[in-house]
Amino acid sequence: MDSASLTLLTFLMTLITILILFTPPDLLLNSLTFSNIISMLTVGLVLTYLTLKVPNFAHGDLASIGFYVSYALYRAYGLNPYFSIPVSFLVSGAVALMIYKAVYRVLQRRRADIVNLMVASIAVDIIIRTILYIYSDAMREYTRTFYRGFIFHDVTFRVGCYSVSFVAIASTIASVSMVLALYYLLMKTKTGIAMRAAIENPDLAETLGIDIDKMYSLSWFIAGGIAGAAGVFIPFRMASYPDTGWNLLLRMFSAAVLGGLDNIFGAIVGGYMVGLIEVLGIYYLSKPPIYLSSAYRPAIPYVILVSVLLFAPKGVLNLVLGRRCGKHD
Amino acid sequence: MIDIFVLILDFLAFFSIYLILSISLNLEYGYTGIPNFGKVLFFAGGAFTVGALASRIIAPLVGVNLAEIDFVKYNAFLGIKVTNFFAENPHIALLMFIALLALAMMVGAILGYLASYPAIRLREDYLGMVLVVSGELARIVGKNYDPLICGTFGVFVPDPFSWAGRLQSIVRVAVMLAIAYLAFLTVEKLSRSPYGRVLRAIRDNEVAADAYGKNIVKVRMQVLVIGSALAGLAGALYAFYMGTVHPDDYSPLKTFVVWIMVIMGGRGNNTGAAVGALIYLLVNRTISFIKHWLYAPFDVNYLSYLIFGAIIILILIYKPQGLIPEKPSETLDFRKYLKKTKS
Repeated sequence: MDSASLTLLTFLMTLITILILFTPPDLLLNSLTFSNIISMLTVGLVLTYLTLKVPNFAHGDLASIGFYVSYALYRAYGLNPYFSIPVSFLVSGAVALMIYKAVYRVLQRRRADIVNLMVASIAVDIIIRTILYIYSDAMREYTRTFYRGFIFHDVTFRVGCYSVSFVAIASTIASVSMVLALYYLLMKTKTGIAMRAAIENPDLAETLGIDIDKMYSLSWFIAGGIAGAAGVFIPFRMASYPDTGWNLLLRMFSAAVLGGLDNIFGAIVGGYMVGLIEVLGIYYLSKPPIYLSSAYRPAIPYVILVSVLLFAPKGVLNLVLGRRCGKHD
Repeated sequence: MIDIFVLILDFLAFFSIYLILSISLNLEYGYTGIPNFGKVLFFAGGAFTVGALASRIIAPLVGVNLAEIDFVKYNAFLGIKVTNFFAENPHIALLMFIALLALAMMVGAILGYLASYPAIRLREDYLGMVLVVSGELARIVGKNYDPLICGTFGVFVPDPFSWAGRLQSIVRVAVMLAIAYLAFLTVEKLSRSPYGRVLRAIRDNEVAADAYGKNIVKVRMQVLVIGSALAGLAGALYAFYMGTVHPDDYSPLKTFVVWIMVIMGGRGNNTGAAVGALIYLLVNRTISFIKHWLYAPFDVNYLSYLIFGAIIILILIYKPQGLIPEKPSETLDFRKYLKKTKS
């Protein structure tokens, strides 16, 4: 088991090193933005997975809510999307909190099994996505502007002979500050330690007087907020639709499984690995010897997901990152 | 008057397709406890088989050389030619219909066999993630690999019942209902047999079933193969009924629709699965029917997803066993048994 995951890890790291060494810097910068987004989204997914041990299929839609909030503010007040990140954070966080309180907590208290929770999370995903569809159609009808397939315009400036778009820098800052803030919260503050205790052993934590429900609610709020903030960066990179978040879910699963699914810091590294391999991989696969259509892009994270599950089901990065938090099997 | 007749026929056709799908999921999830979140993959497998082959295998008989024409461009032309050919040759039409249904079932079964590889090894949460994204991948391949089903344009499927003349639509729906009924009977028989007891034993207590010497891995594999073959059959019927195969039709939303039926009707209970399919279709068809009178700045069909999303959450919270809860199954024919004991 361990030798298999070690082989896989070595293979992936070699692949990434080769890809990075031979890739033009502007493409690297482009993949960095994508990886930042995936990494931030995966952290939220893993954080919610840790609380209920159920993959939240609606996590991508929280990102969609994030960029729709930002787009609505831009249309209404002409607000620069970068300034609406806090609002997106709050709205997506509130929605995640609401989902947790209204659906998952109720189901969990009624001792619903894991399959029922997954069905419920798909139902939540369908509801959010349908609301976004209806909203975008209705707004198009009233305002006569596009509410689907929109992009945000970005500032680019030149460094030497390369043009650097501001989103690459902004998303990196956001991602790094998220990692630092999470590290500080989870490792240094009393609340964070209580959160980790509640995740690792709910019964024991409860006997010690930790309010489990409060801690889980906080986890969901933070996870949703990070997803919403990460969502704001998406339209800078690609045309955004109500189901863009759902399409990113595959990358999140792939990154989360690569990181071990119950390891927050594994999720960060996994997000960067999946993002880099996907963007750089399709760049090389669509070039002369193979000519693969770039529409097959989702196949790359899919192959990563399946090969990790088949060869190293406990996640590849646990080897490096050591102790898993939240053991449950 | 004739409109209502057409509506009923349409309803029955969809009912037979969804009935096959819901009982196949019920066999997998309701009886055996395998959460198959990738139903659309097997459904698409069957539909894509029919879409890719229906016109092509008849092409030499209508005098078209496939090597000479561009199938992506001329598939509708070829399909219409084949349909006209079927109007005069009912035997060949039926032969192709049955052969393609069998082939679609085989494709579904092979896909199910492949899916069983992760399904017997992974925990529910990992399995759910893999199967959900697999369903999405089927759509991406169908959309971008043109030779299969002509990519984004979709492919024309010839009508194998064109020989029936004015009775065409009635014959088609009757055949579909008969096939669905047959599938229902098969699964019902299976679930009442000793094999069905093994399935429930595995669902309720894997360790105990293992201790009694049941081969869990093998049984779960068999169930996935059978269920996926049924889903492939439903996909083939859907392709023939719609007359076209369009890759965007096969989104993970289809999987969710089937889950709605099983959860709503009641798991581990074929009657429940049938009732679930009936209720879903009634609401869905009503909404698309009132669409013509209702003004809204958006597509009214979205309402159906909103309603069912809410319904499924409410059912999971307040009535997780579904509308018709699972009953202890009558493995013996009870009335026959009573008669025998009296005499």
